[in-house]
Amino acid sequence: MTTSTLAPVAVGTRASERPVAVALAAFLGLGLLFMVGFSPAIAFHNAAHDFRHTQNFPCH
Amino acid sequence: MIIRLLSAALAAGFFAAVVVTGLELTLTSPLIVAAERYEQAEPSHQADRALPIVLAHAGHDHTAPDAAPEWQPGAGLPRMAFTGLATLVGAVGYALLLGAVMLACGREPTPQVALAFAVAGFASVALAPGLGLPPELPGSEAAPLAVRQAWWVMTAAATAMGLYLIAVRRTLIAILGGLVLIIAPHVVGAPQAPEGASALPAALAAQFAARSLAISFVFWMLLGLGLGRAWQVFGRETARGTARA
Repeated sequence: MTTSTLAPVAVGTRASERPVAVALAAFLGLGLLFMVGFSPAIAFHNAAHDFRHTQNFPCH
Repeated sequence: MIIRLLSAALAAGFFAAVVVTGLELTLTSPLIVAAERYEQAEPSHQADRALPIVLAHAGHDHTAPDAAPEWQPGAGLPRMAFTGLATLVGAVGYALLLGAVMLACGREPTPQVALAFAVAGFASVALAPGLGLPPELPGSEAAPLAVRQAWWVMTAAATAMGLYLIAVRRTLIAILGGLVLIIAPHVVGAPQAPEGASALPAALAAQFAARSLAISFVFWMLLGLGLGRAWQVFGRETARGTARA
């Protein structure tokens, strides 16, 4: 299977890469968001304080 | 595809973060600093309560003066720099998720598609949680942090799943299920703030809520457009690289 059956996304790429790309991006994205938005570590909280408030992450 | 997705998310996150950091520093940060003056004058703040997760705020400069000093960015430029850094990390995180969702749905992240998914992202993480937990300033009364975080995450996830069922699946049963998922968190209801007289002026809080949602909207639109554009640009480079190889 050299082309994707889902969409023209994978023209010229291996379709098997898609689940890996999705999983990796989702994992990294959730990790970064947890760090800036939810991490209870005081240093993270204080550093991201104004961002958390502005982006409506529960804070305080 | 992995490199292309990660590169596009980095580029889109950076693009959105640059603009949105400027908006945050001019529109919302001054309101937060102004609100912290009221928070200082309020001894019964959440940080003094027993829940360990709430202690995240214990070291902040607006808690009790005898609290143990914890690291925090200095006032002024360092604080602005860390706000910018947090915005960059958050923007890249959301861009990665946006890209992952589009690919998982089998959609090519063109600017048009990415913009449509970004509208759904805005609705899921800004609009829907904001209905129950409006963007709030330091010093306003609120339910315990862990409860609000849980409601926030569940509402965002349910709204995103609901929008997926309605906009991508599009069968009658999926649409009905999607509507239920979107409405359910609001029927359950967000954790309520305890009754209490906050010294924070209502006008300040209202202005902050409006500005916060507006900034979120700009943030998501830039993220969508940027991700779609970057996906195309990095795709062309990949294609050239493949042709050379």
